[in-house]
Amino acid sequence: MARLASPRYYLPVLLILLLFALPLFVKSPYYLHIMAMVLFWAYMATAWNIVGGFAGQLSLGHGAYVAAGAYTSSLLFAYLGISPWFGMFIGGLVAGLMGFLVGYPTLRLRGAYYALATVGFAEGFRVILTNTTHIGKWKTGGAEGFMIPLLGNAPQHMQFISKVPYYYLILVLFLILVLICRWIDGSKLGYYLTALREDEDAALALGINTARVKLVAATLSAFFAGVGGVFYAQLIRYLEPNAIAGPIMSNQIVFLAIVGGRGTVLGPALGGLVLTLIGEITRVVFNQIMGLHLFLYGLLVVLFVIFKPRGLIEFLEVLWNRLVNLLERREGKHAA
Amino acid sequence: MFFKARTGIVFLLVAFLVTLLVAGCGGGGASKGEVKEVKIGNILPLSGSAAPLGKIGKEAREMAVEEINAAGGIKSLGGAKIKMIFADSKGDPATGVAEAERLITQERVALITGTYQSGVALPVSEVTERYKVPFFVPVPSEDVITERGFKYVFRLAEKTSWRNREQVKFIQDMASKFGTPVKTVALIYEDTAWGQGAAKGWEKYLGEAGLQIVLKEPYPRNSSDLTPVVLKVKQLKPDIIFLCSYVSDAALLTNTFAEHKVKPLAFIGTSGGFADPVYFKTTGDNCEYFFDISTWEPDVNRPFSKEVNEKFKQKYGYDMNAEAVKAYVAMYVIKDALERAGSLDPEAIRKALAETKLTSGVTQMYAPEIAFDESGQMIHAPLVICQFRKVDGKMERVTVWPEKDARPGWKPVWPFPGWDKK
Repeated sequence: MARLASPRYYLPVLLILLLFALPLFVKSPYYLHIMAMVLFWAYMATAWNIVGGFAGQLSLGHGAYVAAGAYTSSLLFAYLGISPWFGMFIGGLVAGLMGFLVGYPTLRLRGAYYALATVGFAEGFRVILTNTTHIGKWKTGGAEGFMIPLLGNAPQHMQFISKVPYYYLILVLFLILVLICRWIDGSKLGYYLTALREDEDAALALGINTARVKLVAATLSAFFAGVGGVFYAQLIRYLEPNAIAGPIMSNQIVFLAIVGGRGTVLGPALGGLVLTLIGEITRVVFNQIMGLHLFLYGLLVVLFVIFKPRGLIEFLEVLWNRLVNLLERREGKHAA
Repeated sequence: MFFKARTGIVFLLVAFLVTLLVAGCGGGGASKGEVKEVKIGNILPLSGSAAPLGKIGKEAREMAVEEINAAGGIKSLGGAKIKMIFADSKGDPATGVAEAERLITQERVALITGTYQSGVALPVSEVTERYKVPFFVPVPSEDVITERGFKYVFRLAEKTSWRNREQVKFIQDMASKFGTPVKTVALIYEDTAWGQGAAKGWEKYLGEAGLQIVLKEPYPRNSSDLTPVVLKVKQLKPDIIFLCSYVSDAALLTNTFAEHKVKPLAFIGTSGGFADPVYFKTTGDNCEYFFDISTWEPDVNRPFSKEVNEKFKQKYGYDMNAEAVKAYVAMYVIKDALERAGSLDPEAIRKALAETKLTSGVTQMYAPEIAFDESGQMIHAPLVICQFRKVDGKMERVTVWPEKDARPGWKPVWPFPGWDKK
């Protein structure tokens, strides 16, 4: 309990409680939908960060894992009646396996090979999804996309009329992922990854099996991306290969993570939160002039990158330290 | 450092608060008592690669609404004016869904229309169905949109497969009229939702007509070289070549066919790239005598067509296209339904839309009768075939089929006369 008295502990707890309490104040389904999407992007950027940030291996094809998860759970549900609650794990495992298969031959190589392999693999996967209309008797829709059967309110199949359950679902997923990342960051694996990212030769010399460590990171990252894909599928209920497996998805994830602060635990999530909100707000507010919202969005991003090249996380760190110091000082006074 | 951390944070916070405030002001509640305006939500691709197409759809709608409001608005609602609320889908399904949620729950629109892309219309229709808000679809043509038993979806456009049905009908009609037997067909299409849908339709209707498909060739959109495709076609010598392409591939295919002097009985496009003005610029004389299918042409022989297009051209500087006509006509169909509904109750509007039977007025420029079947699908969506012909030295789309819609005095040139006779 004594630890809870320190702002370093009670502040995050307060923040989490606030996130959980949000649906009590925000009743509009639209705002809840946007918040769910914001958390989705924060989640995706955090998942990418495991391989892209911690391990420092630029993956430009996470869309493929998102799609793998989304398609796996949706097909299993539509044709075998397996609830997406289970499909979520199966989808994650399929995506993880894909991450492993892409990483296995390429993560042994240095330099741009892994990045190239991920681009090539994701593009290939997108083309396969686009041109495959059937798997056996299962219709996948090809380029026309796949629609998840609308059931109305069916909690056992992860479909809800209200937006509140979606919000809580992605919030819980997000928090779990952040905790895992925190754990990785402080674990042996985290130190291996840091060593590898900073200087691969030195890490090798220290006896770290860098190829294996990279592979673990890539597989974990793909697994969580796949789980996120299942959430996307259930929220939007329509899978279009170009939108979900294409460069738009892959690049967006990388972009959010880098602007937010690659390699830190909370940076990518912050990027996802801030940039998605800004994108949404500018689109709604400045929709009178065509394309203006993208211009403003781009301008803000340029400013962020120029002034905070290490990521938006710098803002947060400064703010955080200030707040903690302030609170600690106040408490100190009280004690005196 | 002129950009200190503190100013940075303040700047961020202020930016957020301001935008949130402005955003918050946008969401007004439904007006009680007397109806002053009818809010209609429009989801269009206003940025991204389809932005030019979203723009022309927006312009056509704005022109129609100006006219409707100037003529006294919705009379059964005490002259209420139509207020258009535009939302940008970026052509992305997820963004379309978010915008549909916003338009319904924040803006409280009476009806949603638009989306241009079928891929956005499909998920948006799930949102509107859930909230029981009518969704009027003027352009997206993927068959399945009106084939899921939804009650709140109404589509003015034809189904994709209807185009393929008419194309097949057209070649059979030409074959018998000109005494040129048609046996074999090659299908060349982009590997997108649109192209795959067309291929499915062609296979179905060609099969029913007993024609043989000798080549099915999907290619990736925006290819840099399509010579291998063209050489395959040349070797197989099909009687007819069906094409489904966006503009850059349409032009590339046309020019490569010219280079290799491929000579079937006819080249037949499926709108899209072939209907883009850029196509004429990049192909020059090569596209002469090609056919294309659409629902409307500037020269089509229908009432109000010329007048409305003339007005549009004066206002915006270019001709309407089939999609703009559908968007324009859609607003009049919606106006008619609102007039008969006499209320903003979504159920009343839905019922009025379902009972639509428009046989007079400017909607004639699109079809003589506008009515929807039980699935919400427009029953007699009109389709015409045009041929690219030189009129006074300038390439034009000349409507040639069916005869009643044809440009007076023009008949199709069949078979394709060859590349040397141009």
